[in-house]
Amino acid sequence: MLAPAVVVYTVMTIVPVVVALYLSLTDWNGFSAAAFVGLDNYARLFDDPDTTRAGVVTVIVAFFGSVGMLGLGLVYALQLKERNWANSFFRTLAYYPHVISSLILGFLWSAILGTNGAINNTLADLGIGPVGFLFDENLAVITLVGVIVWAGFGFNVVLFVAGLQTVPRELVEAAQIDGASRRQINRRIVIPMIAPVVTVAMVLNLVGLIKVYDIVVSLTDGGPAGATETIAYVILTKSFAGTDVGFATAQAVALMVASAALSVVVTALRNRQDRAATG
Amino acid sequence: MTPNPRAGARRPSPVRVALLTLLFAVMTVPVYLLLVNSFKSQQDIQNSPFSLPFGRISLDYLAAAVQSPQYNVLKSYGFTLVLVVAVDLLCILFAGPAAYVIARSLKRRTQFLLLFFLAGTFIPASALIVPLIYVLRAIGLDNTVAGLILHDVAMTLPVSIFLFVGFIRTVPRDIDHAAAIDGAGRLRTYWQVIFPLTRPAVITVLILNSIGIWNDFISPQILLSPGSGTYTVTTAIYAGISQYSTDMTKVFPNLLLAVAPVIIFFVYMQRHIISGLTVGALKG
Repeated sequence: MLAPAVVVYTVMTIVPVVVALYLSLTDWNGFSAAAFVGLDNYARLFDDPDTTRAGVVTVIVAFFGSVGMLGLGLVYALQLKERNWANSFFRTLAYYPHVISSLILGFLWSAILGTNGAINNTLADLGIGPVGFLFDENLAVITLVGVIVWAGFGFNVVLFVAGLQTVPRELVEAAQIDGASRRQINRRIVIPMIAPVVTVAMVLNLVGLIKVYDIVVSLTDGGPAGATETIAYVILTKSFAGTDVGFATAQAVALMVASAALSVVVTALRNRQDRAATG
Repeated sequence: MTPNPRAGARRPSPVRVALLTLLFAVMTVPVYLLLVNSFKSQQDIQNSPFSLPFGRISLDYLAAAVQSPQYNVLKSYGFTLVLVVAVDLLCILFAGPAAYVIARSLKRRTQFLLLFFLAGTFIPASALIVPLIYVLRAIGLDNTVAGLILHDVAMTLPVSIFLFVGFIRTVPRDIDHAAAIDGAGRLRTYWQVIFPLTRPAVITVLILNSIGIWNDFISPQILLSPGSGTYTVTTAIYAGISQYSTDMTKVFPNLLLAVAPVIIFFVYMQRHIISGLTVGALKG
């Protein structure tokens, strides 16, 4: 009964990881014989300008994307926590991009924000622009983070609303009777009580964004001049497509290690939270 | 934030009104633009993207996208649906019995298997897919739909098994014993007795996996070469847009075709989907 799952999972997931570990120690173009080069590819990770820039971009996108989703998620969860039809409508509205492929969301936003997009065409009528949302090196990174936050904050709203609905009503009412303002109640009671959910959401956001690829392909295709290339983008479109397989697998292993490290943090936090919950 | 108006006051605070107006605008404008520009000429899209010129709207562009011989998004629904159904079925078929054995086992070694599967959730597809190509090549499944399906199944197994194990553990063991006394084997006990009882977990897993596979781009893009002529919705859009990127009368109708089924499915099943994806994320 265990065999099919174990076999498929081992062949398709565990074996490739082992193969990646081996290939990352070689210089290989995918066709001829692989030459063993030790840790050279890992040393290259820190020398190669494309990789280091992509590393910085990935960290920026993951950090600011996570913080943005968390902040907006919290602001809107506090507005939308009561159960009624209007709140449920707005929650759904905030959430819907989460079920659409981020590749398609990226194409849609590039049709809106591009030089010939809806926004710049409208601004041109007013004699402004064009604004380089996708063509200015710094602005493009901000746009990428903005679109990611737009697509993902609704998921955080839903997580936080679920957390907020567990805050005992009596506690809030007691504070109100004591004359606390809504702001004081939120800061002193509600937010501390949902802190565990906030932590889990933060790390889920980070783990999701450290491997961001689809939306980069469709929104900016890594441009302008590579300013929005992430690690996953560099692995798949540069090293691997350029038949630098040894280096591509070293980058892949680095991404797996980073992702695993973040995930271990999630699991540790979740276990601590579960233990706290069950006493 | 302003202090709360006295309890019982009905009028929403200006902050709430401003926040919700902003939310409404930012979330609906992209969909509005997608909708109206799918029925406009290139000139109208360029000159007045936000307008809906009733006299000049036309179904021609959508019809052209529907009938397009190349990178046809509508035709790609078929293959994507086959992929989703195949992965869903195989995942349930493999994950269910495995989860049952793990959930019921008292042996440390079997329990350890759960951690073995959970390790899979740590591995990003974008990192795994590069070495996977060479593994598939070695077993003769490179560039095949079978290879893509097996990879997708492997990606869905960890979270599915984890959710099933959690749920099966809430089903009393007495039920297993009763089935055993009636002469049912373990496999039959699972499918005929336990599986129907785990329906909520099965629905969660189906929603989680179906949306994930339908929206997946990396796996079909890398594992099926463009020469194969087989496109999912995402790879069809990708291939199409790299061809006609500046022709907005093709971009918008094709994007509309790509999001329409997901939006309809979402509106129809939103409560199941939101709770399914939340449970999947929190527990997986």
